[in-house]
Amino acid sequence: MPDLHEPQFACHVEDLTVSYRERPVLWDIDLDIPPGVMAAIVGPNGAGKSTLIKAVLGLVTPVAGHVRVFGLPVTQARRRIAYVPQRQSVDWDFPATVRDVVLMGLYGQVGWFRRPGRAHKARATAALEQVGMQDYANRPISQLSGGQQQRVFIARALVQEADLLFLDEPMAGVDAVTEAAIVALLKAQRDAGRTVVVVHHDLQTVDRYFDWLVMLNQRIIAQGPVAQVYTEDNLRSAYGGQLALIGSLGNAGDAASTPTATAGAGAQDA
Amino acid sequence: MLNPTLITVILAASMIGALAGVLGSFLVLRGQSLLGDVISHAALPGVVGGFLASGGRGFVAILAGALISGALAGLVVQLLRRGAGVKADAALGTVLSLFFAAGVVLLSVAQLRSGAAGLTVFLFGQAASVLRADLMPMALVAGLVLGGVVLLWKEFHLISFDREAAQAQGLPVSLLETVLTVLIAVAIVLGLALAGVVLMVAMLIAPAVAARQWVRGLMPMVLLAAVFGILAGAAGAVISAQGHGVATGPVMVLCATALTAVSLLLAPERGIVARWTRQRRARRSLHGRQVLAALQGLSQAHDDPSYASAEGMLNAYLGASSQPVLDRLKGRGFIRQAAKMEPELGKDRRWELTDAGVLHLENKDETQ
Repeated sequence: MPDLHEPQFACHVEDLTVSYRERPVLWDIDLDIPPGVMAAIVGPNGAGKSTLIKAVLGLVTPVAGHVRVFGLPVTQARRRIAYVPQRQSVDWDFPATVRDVVLMGLYGQVGWFRRPGRAHKARATAALEQVGMQDYANRPISQLSGGQQQRVFIARALVQEADLLFLDEPMAGVDAVTEAAIVALLKAQRDAGRTVVVVHHDLQTVDRYFDWLVMLNQRIIAQGPVAQVYTEDNLRSAYGGQLALIGSLGNAGDAASTPTATAGAGAQDA
Repeated sequence: MLNPTLITVILAASMIGALAGVLGSFLVLRGQSLLGDVISHAALPGVVGGFLASGGRGFVAILAGALISGALAGLVVQLLRRGAGVKADAALGTVLSLFFAAGVVLLSVAQLRSGAAGLTVFLFGQAASVLRADLMPMALVAGLVLGGVVLLWKEFHLISFDREAAQAQGLPVSLLETVLTVLIAVAIVLGLALAGVVLMVAMLIAPAVAARQWVRGLMPMVLLAAVFGILAGAAGAVISAQGHGVATGPVMVLCATALTAVSLLLAPERGIVARWTRQRRARRSLHGRQVLAALQGLSQAHDDPSYASAEGMLNAYLGASSQPVLDRLKGRGFIRQAAKMEPELGKDRRWELTDAGVLHLENKDETQ
């Protein structure tokens, strides 16, 4: 029975440092995400948000630090984690139907030298229904719109029935209807007891969609419940004074008081 | 016409073609066609070495030599990329040229020494070089390679489509990629006697590209590429074996490329003819009233009744070229061309509704 290190957190990161060509991209990251939250990771361009997710998942090798998921090293907890990468990480001209892509989410579970069976295919169909794409099951993925592609990617993660979901900018470049559908889906996952961690591109919607917030700019600026962390001071620290605020950050859900980030990157840009 | 030699040639070429189609599909989908070219060109010094070492046409020795020099080439590529920071295409190009040049020099030397005229076979391939005795070992190796693909099918599928997702699911991606590259290398090396070092890569690329045009999934693509490979390989081998001294490789490649050209043109969804027909149909189905309404809508959006819409903008909105319809409407006096304005002199035509056009649009009981 392996030693459980900090099992009370869905994701525990300590001293994580990632370099690229001898320059730090992430530095001294200490991060704890409790289970059952819907967390957002925000920060300016070049903050290392995608890199953080990839380092947690072991897709990128850190030069220092360790990661635990539900107390276990990630390599032992793979079944409990699912990952939705950015849409452009894939060539959508690949010969595959919608159903093929979702089924691929189960390949890691099917086992060496075996084929997906009827049970796996049924799970894939159920996942497609969850995202509302069951009518597109036989559609080639090259014919999908951006929002449909995103839904297929999410279905591929849902089919794995993981306890911890990582999504990298799932709502970027997606129409309003799809965005609302995705948020509803993720909230339902959270309500069912799963932990959802999203690299989010839009500051304006953070307090409406999420209950936990991580502000990142190569280092952790702040982390915790949205109400506590989503403050002017923290935003200024994270975005380096490039932030234009409209009104004050008073009540959550009050449209007039949400801040907008300008296009400029923060003082430390990669 | 069918003599034992021809049958041998057809069998060998079919095996090579099928293998090339299958492995070539992965090569093409992963964007690694240049790597395939490097492996086949870099095999030349190894082939010559294997020939000299075995003192004759030892099938196994030549195969082993080709694989070794191919592997060496792969290592040098990695060294250049990781160690010296050379970009992928430059590293591959450098290694390809280096090893191929070394191979040609070795070849010339070997020919001088042992009168091994038969080695030029490996540059462009020669159907007649395949012996009956080679068929069994060839079939064995081909079977092993295909067996590997079948066993690791879903792993190869996943790492080709989304490498990161494969990693995240815990698959040993680097190991799998190495295995796939080795299988590709074996497929290439097996076909060198027939297709030659210079053109072998085309046998991997062309059938795969052709197959891609007709299918919606990876399995159908791989199977169809195998069929195309068999057809091109067998046809090329048979034609070149007719005894006119034409090397086999070029003929096989011409057959394969012909299949590709036909596929690119005629495939139902993705083919050029199909796309052109779809566009024509979209253009044809544009009604005059539709275009008039679009022009009016555009001028209303600009709050300017005298606004003249650029034809390019109109086409983008309508999703098809409206030029024939516009000419027709102009002939009927419903629209007129607006005067060209600076700074766009000489470019797009601009159109505005005439009074007659406005009336026609509002007059709902008038037919087209």
